[in-house]
Amino acid sequence: MEYKFNFLEKTHKINLEKADDLFKVIINDKQEYNISDVEVESNLISFKADDKLYIIYCFSYKDKTHLSIDGENYILEKDKTSKAKTGKQQKGNSVFSPMPGLLVKIPVSVGDKVKSGTTLAIVEAMKMQNELPSPRDGIVKKINGKEGEQVDALQVIVELE
Amino acid sequence: MFKKILISNRGEIAIRVARACKELGISTVGIYSTIDKKSLHIRFMDETIWIGDSPAISSYLNIYTIIKAAKQTKCDAIHPGYGFLAENEKFAKACEDAGIIFIGPSSKALSLVGDKVASRNTVKKVGVPIIPGMAMITKDIKKFKQAAKDVGYPVIIKASMGGGGKGMRVVYNEKELEKSIAAGQREALSAFGDESVYLEKYIEQPRHIEFQVLRDNFGNCIHLFERECSIQRRHQKIIEETPSPALDNNLRMKMGKAAKKVIDASNYTTAGTVEFLLDKNKKFYFLEVNARIQVEHPITEMVTGVDLVRQQILIAAGEKLTIKQDQIKQNGHAIETRIYAEDPDNDFVPSPGKILFLSEPNGPGIRVDSGIYQGCDIPPHYDPILSKLIVWSENRKMSIVRISETLKEYIILGIKTNIGYLKRIIDSKNFASGNYDTHFIDEHEEKLQPKKEKLDIALIAGALNKSLVISKRAKEYDSQYSQKTTPWQELGKWEICGQ
Repeated sequence: MEYKFNFLEKTHKINLEKADDLFKVIINDKQEYNISDVEVESNLISFKADDKLYIIYCFSYKDKTHLSIDGENYILEKDKTSKAKTGKQQKGNSVFSPMPGLLVKIPVSVGDKVKSGTTLAIVEAMKMQNELPSPRDGIVKKINGKEGEQVDALQVIVELE
Repeated sequence: MFKKILISNRGEIAIRVARACKELGISTVGIYSTIDKKSLHIRFMDETIWIGDSPAISSYLNIYTIIKAAKQTKCDAIHPGYGFLAENEKFAKACEDAGIIFIGPSSKALSLVGDKVASRNTVKKVGVPIIPGMAMITKDIKKFKQAAKDVGYPVIIKASMGGGGKGMRVVYNEKELEKSIAAGQREALSAFGDESVYLEKYIEQPRHIEFQVLRDNFGNCIHLFERECSIQRRHQKIIEETPSPALDNNLRMKMGKAAKKVIDASNYTTAGTVEFLLDKNKKFYFLEVNARIQVEHPITEMVTGVDLVRQQILIAAGEKLTIKQDQIKQNGHAIETRIYAEDPDNDFVPSPGKILFLSEPNGPGIRVDSGIYQGCDIPPHYDPILSKLIVWSENRKMSIVRISETLKEYIILGIKTNIGYLKRIIDSKNFASGNYDTHFIDEHEEKLQPKKEKLDIALIAGALNKSLVISKRAKEYDSQYSQKTTPWQELGKWEICGQ
């Protein structure tokens, strides 16, 4: 998934890619981090970035995310030029559910040729349907789950060859 | 002893005073302006009274309403805190006239302290050094030259009506003198409508060091050692420590004695502070007397163990000072940082607003004098001070480590604060060396810029927060609603009938 934040009048792009239990994060198409041990508890986020542990206080309000890291505060503003929607195209070789919810539809089958952007699954939560588009052109290798089943956040639903 | 005290202030200092009152068994009356109806200090009072609209001039500076409130609630005394009316002789006089005790010096002593020329003369008379300079205003260049020679270069030209640095010129030798006087006069004329300037010795690399004093109505007077207050932004202190790394014991005793002399000579009572400038050759000069409890009083409490606000109240109630000078010892080291709602990376502009999240530090040797809570609104009408973080440890080195670590634990989200900036100062080599003066912030501006070295981590956290918190909320929502059937569903299939 791609996120954009403005910080001190500069736009920063963050790509969040799920790989097994890890996240691979790429910032501004340059800097890469391996993220593990992610825990989120109300206003506290903890994770390991390249094996260093961070515990960060965080509060999102209106268009701003306020963070405190080791005494320094950061205010990230929502990038107004792009809509950070959960249904945004993911990167890599699979699509995962951005939230726990109901697997409403899987319009593809194993072996199907798909194009980048083709809807691979639809997940519903809080009365909102999210279409999960294919990250690239490819062939469907595996489907985890059936229509009508509950899925967890970050559960990989469709894998590509 | 007093039965009831009105605390004519707000924020952390009102709470500090209320605590002292409670411990002495005195009831408290708190006052609030319209916007302060939900402020934290109100929750610490036995009674509260609304005293006017939000602007300070209609509320916390309104002498008439405050005296009326004190009379109405039958208070014996008023504690003014710091700022607002704390050093206002008219307010002290109004209290005296209403038969209410003003917890501070008498209006007469206040008027003396307020007049800078008068207090300079009083101090000079008792043999305490003042900054040497011209005693009167003149336009005669010969007299300027003579005065400069007398006090020794460098000298500073100051506008006699001035303030805020306007008209000021530092002069290093006689060649520059005439030109600088002319420039100073021009600047003074345009800024204050008066071209009079005078000359004073320029104190290079000055340190701002003050002494805490207590004096009762019977002339008993003690000092409680110094506070080093040289870390200032826009002439306002932001970090204070005690003991000062600049003083040795000999000098400390000399300055302490001088402070007591100043207080005795001005017939000043209760708690006060005598401010000095210390030059690079360790010569000290009287600057002014602060006739109030100071913002930075907690560091003195931490190293001496004396509750200054309690002593101030006891003295005002007519009790004798029971602590003797030789009982006062400096134990360990304390540092205070003032937490302000301001943006240090943008010229320190105030940053009012809502505190969305708050987590205040705690632990051994840590004291937080705070006036805020999670969810409170910081109004734009008053001083941007939110709280004070004070730490104590065995020595200076350990205090620095402690406050640096503790600042990391002070989490205020929603408004801008100077916490990161304070930490950058504390962590700097120049602060650690103890070798700093009042120009510290100007000289190190560059080094104190935010490093934002953890921006990548912040961005990762921001992205994870967006993706995971949203999914977490969805999960909670789901478990709450999705599994349950509604009563309508239990009733079976329905069809809408009728038209």
